[in-house]
Amino acid sequence: MGTKYGGYMGRYLDIDLSTGKVTDYEVSDEDKELYLGSKGLGARILYDNLRKGVDPLGPENVLIVNTGPLVGSGAPCTSRFNISTKSPLTGAILSSNCGGNFGIHLKRAGVDGILVRGKADKPTRIHISEEKVEFLDASDLWGMDTEETQEKLPARAGKIVIGPAGENGVLFANIISQERAAGRGGAGAVMGSKNLKAITASGKKKVSVVRQAEFEKDVKKWISILKAHPTTSETLPAYGTGIFVNRCNATNTLPTHNFKRGSFEEADAVSGEALADTMLEKNFGCVSCVIKCGRRVKVEGKEVKGPEYETLGLLGPNLENPDLERICEWNYIADLMGMDTVSLGNTLGFAMELNERGLWESGLSFGKTDGIAEAIENIARREGIGDELALGVRHLSEKYGGREFAMHSKGMEFPSYEPRGAVGHGLGYAISNRGGCHLGGGYFIYFEATGPITMDPHTTRSKPEFVAMFQTLLDAVSSAGNCQFTSFALIPKQALELKPYGAIYRTISKVMEGAGPILKLVLKQPGIMPFTLPGELIPHPKNISDLTGMRMTMGNLLAAGLRGYLIERMFNVREGFSSRDDSLPERVTREGQGGNPKWVVPLDKMLPRYYDVRGLDERGIPKPQTLSRLGVKV
Amino acid sequence: MAVVKYYASLRNVVGKKEEQIEVASLSELLQRLSQMYEGRLARHLKTTTVLVNGKNVIHLKGRRTPLGKDDIVSLFPPLGGG
Repeated sequence: MGTKYGGYMGRYLDIDLSTGKVTDYEVSDEDKELYLGSKGLGARILYDNLRKGVDPLGPENVLIVNTGPLVGSGAPCTSRFNISTKSPLTGAILSSNCGGNFGIHLKRAGVDGILVRGKADKPTRIHISEEKVEFLDASDLWGMDTEETQEKLPARAGKIVIGPAGENGVLFANIISQERAAGRGGAGAVMGSKNLKAITASGKKKVSVVRQAEFEKDVKKWISILKAHPTTSETLPAYGTGIFVNRCNATNTLPTHNFKRGSFEEADAVSGEALADTMLEKNFGCVSCVIKCGRRVKVEGKEVKGPEYETLGLLGPNLENPDLERICEWNYIADLMGMDTVSLGNTLGFAMELNERGLWESGLSFGKTDGIAEAIENIARREGIGDELALGVRHLSEKYGGREFAMHSKGMEFPSYEPRGAVGHGLGYAISNRGGCHLGGGYFIYFEATGPITMDPHTTRSKPEFVAMFQTLLDAVSSAGNCQFTSFALIPKQALELKPYGAIYRTISKVMEGAGPILKLVLKQPGIMPFTLPGELIPHPKNISDLTGMRMTMGNLLAAGLRGYLIERMFNVREGFSSRDDSLPERVTREGQGGNPKWVVPLDKMLPRYYDVRGLDERGIPKPQTLSRLGVKV
Repeated sequence: MAVVKYYASLRNVVGKKEEQIEVASLSELLQRLSQMYEGRLARHLKTTTVLVNGKNVIHLKGRRTPLGKDDIVSLFPPLGGG
């Protein structure tokens, strides 16, 4: 209980739904220094509280909902919470990060995080306030969609809820807060398995700041950087994340026809530009957000949340569907039902290809939009073919065949980037601890195809090192409590104005190809960076320092990210995962994109180098010296 | 003639999605665009990423990248998303 550091409320609660018992859970200041909070600390706590082989949908699984120190501090884009649990979709560790309003309200209730164990004997809502934790009957909410459920809950409280998909054990059911989703890996099904319909939190506590005047100056500067940067102040607010549709299409990284191709002739019809021109009512952001990338569109006359890039790509081109209105409608239904649209789009696409090849008569066909809305509801209710679709791509491939074009890694379906057009990004899918994921995999496509400065998308030179570095940075940013979109401003505005088609960018790109050894050195010895960088580059360490009072250098920030990855990895190792699970389907490793045999993801070439830079052995297991060097106790 | 495709805010600046322009290189195209849009594009071109047939020109010949019949030039402002 308590903490010497600012930014934290100093309290974690251990809540047992089976017994109704609530106790304080001790999180030491040392663990805060090592893992910061949110994703990294969530993984540490999960590792310490689960034993091997627990059924993800059984009462023994633990659902952790926690925050990072920056959440609720006034720093920009910090209305975040993290879910850590054992995923029912993959059997691996799951971390799912979300905006919405729950994180801030949880801290206002004086709590950094909660562990939820056991199973309630009837549908339940947990309410957390400064004074107590209440278990409230939620029988009247059971069966309701996520929108209606939230409407029935106290207006001023922070909320997380599940929809029918979570109640019915859909393996990719999500958790919703306002209109944001902790989307991936089936955390909604874990809540449902515990008879937990919702968690609410409220209070009036404030986050303490150690160096108030300095922190306020940091925040002001950070906001001004985000507001002046063309990516976070112009493109994202105007077009949302859907701006990537046309860019991915142009670079052959837009999944089309269940990832068979990387471009779609009618991509522009489902792009961020098309959304802005035809359906956008307004943009919105989470509390404390200065970027406001969210879309609001009209579906059947009602203003609702619009689709993100992932949804546009996977319910559009991946299904050979150019109908933007249908995508908005399906996105809304999926949100109401509480399910992840990334896994949904993949599962529908895979079922369509099975149907096309005569392997499973699913009745679903590429380019055919009729029946999709009903299929989404059937998945949520586990009715008809929805009962099988609810189990995701891996299950379908094991039952009906087609493993070579089952687009998942460790059971988690791929996000909306075709990896043969960005091979480092493909490596990220394979080695992400939660399974096929761009965020857990370092999101390297930004430096291969979609960002202003790119390396050759097909070379493997320095890619394993860069992927490990960006994974580490993004993990650290998440652990601090920030939205990862603040990272888009890491390339300073001034650098963007150096003409991205000119000699300077060409030179930087070549230098990046040779940067592997330096990156490896930094990742092995992050302590060689005992300083903070100017705010224009990476403002996070200084902000964390002034908020918490910790000595947060670039090296310490990276070390926190490294530890988070290692403890996640050790969780998976304990569950029996190894290098054979760091895999990709043959479609991307053997089937050359566009008929070019060279355009595959050369995973075999990159994986050993990645293990080396991460300090893992040839089985993908962290070496004892790697763990001890970073102080990761297992 | 090369096909020049505009994306995101660049569409608003030039008022169209694409057009065909007869030029021999990227350098010539950038010059031509500056003339055609009388400086309206100048601020944006400083930060524009250029792809030719899906490849970032920094992996081709930069400004000296040749352009011929049916080459597709895609112009993007700085993007973020995902």
